[in-house]
Amino acid sequence: MTTEPASVFHQKDALRRSIIASYWFVVFLALPLWWNTTSIHRLALPVLRVHSHAQHHVRLPVHIRLTSNVSSAHLKSLVDAGLDVQIHSDEEGLGTESTYTIIDSPRSFVDGRTLHYPANHHHLSDVLSSLLAPVSSSRDIEYSPRYRLAFSLLNEDAAAGGAIVGWDISRAIQKYFSPISKQLAVLHNFTIESQVQFHAPLAFKPTQLQDGTFGLTQEQLTLFVNSAEWSLSSSASNDPVLHFILFVPSINQSPLRILSSNSSSSSTTFLLPQWGTILIYNPPPLHDTSQPTQLLLSDLDPIFQSFADQLLALLGVPALPFSPANPPNAILTDWQLDALMRRRTLENAQKAKDTLQSIVNLVDEIQNMPVEKDVRDDVVNALNELDEMYTSSHQSLTRTLQHSARALTLASRAFFNPSMLALLYFPAEHKYAVYTPLFASAMIPMVVTVLREVKAWRTERAH
Amino acid sequence: MLPFSLPQALLLWLALWSTTVISTNIAHEDTVRNFFSKSGSSGSGSAHTNNWAVLVCASRYWFNYRHMANALGMYRTVKRLGIPDSNIILMLADDASCNARNKFPGSVYANPGRHLDLYGDNIEVDYRGYEVTVENFIRVLTGRVDSSVPRSKRLLTDERSNIFVYMTGHGGNEFLKFQDNEEISAHDIADAFEQMYQKKRYNEIFFMIDTCQANTLYSKFYSPNVLATGSSMIDESSYSASPIPLYANDQDIGVAVIDAYTHYVLQFMEAINKTSHKTMQDLFDSYDVNKIGSHPGVREDLFKRRLDKTLITDFFGGIAHAEVISSENDRSLLPDPLPVDEEDGEGSTAAANARQHNSSTPAVRSVQQWPLSGMQPDIWRDARSWICMLLFAFLIGWVSWREK
Repeated sequence: MTTEPASVFHQKDALRRSIIASYWFVVFLALPLWWNTTSIHRLALPVLRVHSHAQHHVRLPVHIRLTSNVSSAHLKSLVDAGLDVQIHSDEEGLGTESTYTIIDSPRSFVDGRTLHYPANHHHLSDVLSSLLAPVSSSRDIEYSPRYRLAFSLLNEDAAAGGAIVGWDISRAIQKYFSPISKQLAVLHNFTIESQVQFHAPLAFKPTQLQDGTFGLTQEQLTLFVNSAEWSLSSSASNDPVLHFILFVPSINQSPLRILSSNSSSSSTTFLLPQWGTILIYNPPPLHDTSQPTQLLLSDLDPIFQSFADQLLALLGVPALPFSPANPPNAILTDWQLDALMRRRTLENAQKAKDTLQSIVNLVDEIQNMPVEKDVRDDVVNALNELDEMYTSSHQSLTRTLQHSARALTLASRAFFNPSMLALLYFPAEHKYAVYTPLFASAMIPMVVTVLREVKAWRTERAH
Repeated sequence: MLPFSLPQALLLWLALWSTTVISTNIAHEDTVRNFFSKSGSSGSGSAHTNNWAVLVCASRYWFNYRHMANALGMYRTVKRLGIPDSNIILMLADDASCNARNKFPGSVYANPGRHLDLYGDNIEVDYRGYEVTVENFIRVLTGRVDSSVPRSKRLLTDERSNIFVYMTGHGGNEFLKFQDNEEISAHDIADAFEQMYQKKRYNEIFFMIDTCQANTLYSKFYSPNVLATGSSMIDESSYSASPIPLYANDQDIGVAVIDAYTHYVLQFMEAINKTSHKTMQDLFDSYDVNKIGSHPGVREDLFKRRLDKTLITDFFGGIAHAEVISSENDRSLLPDPLPVDEEDGEGSTAAANARQHNSSTPAVRSVQQWPLSGMQPDIWRDARSWICMLLFAFLIGWVSWREK
């Protein structure tokens, strides 16, 4: 017995059409899921605030009090970028703690925030600008709230004799670096490590001079650090490292000094910008080479005095135009410390603004770069810190610096957030290659069946 | 019924396709304009104080011995010329030296005579084996690494760093394969460099790549101060087997030991020492198409200094400047600022002039040969492509339905 095809249950129109419809139903249900899993999570960043900050420049106030016989005419030229110089006369008596005072004096020296200087000397404005807004040099290391100081005593070849096997490093650090670290505590935090090495060969032979001593040419100085064979610092943290190396040349190449164009000077110290400093230590001639020796604090005094000076130079502490009051009651005068803090504040603020600007630019430029919540929070917090920096800039330099440093840290953290990794670029051909085998084979029959059903339904209705 | 037939539909599709292509070209022009406005801004000379190197071998497995030898050869060179291990990021599958098939365990040789063991006793591989991924490479460059990643695996550069980036592996038109598993495209490297530029993570970059169609990999760069060179042109392989069979295979190792391009670069570099005054121009002039077997390219349009003023040691060296502190200095006499190289200031304009002259000179040079792609993904271009695609699918469906 045969049955009509139309009467078979699975050929019933309603059933067939609901089967087809159920396919489409699943496709439509899946669409939001597909959209959700393939789209990139991009939160909106406060672009307008970033742009408005980029045009805004922080101005730091500087109050100068003049004693009666110093005329303010000299100081007109001082009002330069970033500094709001306000000049008060003696009578106003506005003696806040952060006011700089200029006192007429035949001898020039600084003491605290007071400058003693001949009142009508025509260099007064130059001196003041070098004290208040010194130019930065390219040797300065970039600002970081934390630094690591690595002290190394390197014997070129201890086996050859005359080795220096130890140094009184902890007392030397106590004596020369603790005061600096205390004074700079508001800017930086230092971690200190030290080591002694007994075999630290040079990668080249120093030039032997006619008088039997050895010399280093300017070119050899740049090759001096034999990083392939000296292991100079531990890699325990990601803080920037400043190196202080006391190098003891082998007894066969001693004494060793740096050659210069004018042969009269005999320097043994050189500085590598942003890296650290190297001091060549030639043991005194009377030194008994058969015995290993220790360096006592008295031996280390000149060395660590030099290291301390180099540290300040590397950190960007400005030099004074003349020596401070005798005896100095601190390593750094308030003029230097303030100038350094002002400079770091301006630098940090600028870098924070640049970083925020570049985050906004990159997110705009690279369309498949995700922006997660923690990135946005960091950006917003960095902007808040910048706001607070502006409000505190007229009250406290220390707080202004701290806000600027926090703004920079937050902005950098947002930039370096691991989630900010853009998806890899796929050319359009790749997209076709991925989607076509998947969708073309499934979708075309589905579309065609729908069209046929519609056609069948219309012919049915026409009859 | 629809008012047109199949041939008409195809014509329509072709028309749509050509509009897509035209829109792409417009995007290129915009890119070029952006690029020129960007490079017109003032630039510094070689004001670097530190050097870094990122060396990537993107291949693994024994038969890719030569790629590991390439990377290790470069590693040896940068280290010999003074970049400390702490400033070298070496990404290497590292499965050649201790491979069971290696007849000389613990060694990697780059020449058939086995004169020089590149593996040596002092190798620091920072990303090893399966850590060599596209993601890790991009993370190293952009600095977007997890907070737990140690110092040795980070590129801790700043705006005074010169970076040498060397890549080798199997590649193709605008891509480089990473360990037969994934690939990095020219866009990804270009975007990574742009992100580094935005965060002031470099002073200058020297990018070198040895792979098939290598020159396409640097075609998408758009960030300033990048000098790039590659081993071979588009549609051209980069050979391990140079015309001199001496460098092709080692009978005992049994595989090709080095690629020709890297071999000749290394040969040039062996004659360089730390105080050498050889320039980049000398390196590029040393390229010999007949020996290498492919056409190496140089892209210098993003680079502001003149190549014959750019020392090899600006990228391969260790320390750039030293300041002598006179022994009798006291606190008030801190050292003078760094001497500024006076040639650098005028160099930028001179370089611009030189660049125009250069475009006609040697055959090797392929300056601005490659069109720059759209920097921003063009939504319209994408949409058009997809519409074309859908239309095409619809037409196929329609035809197959009509035939019934």
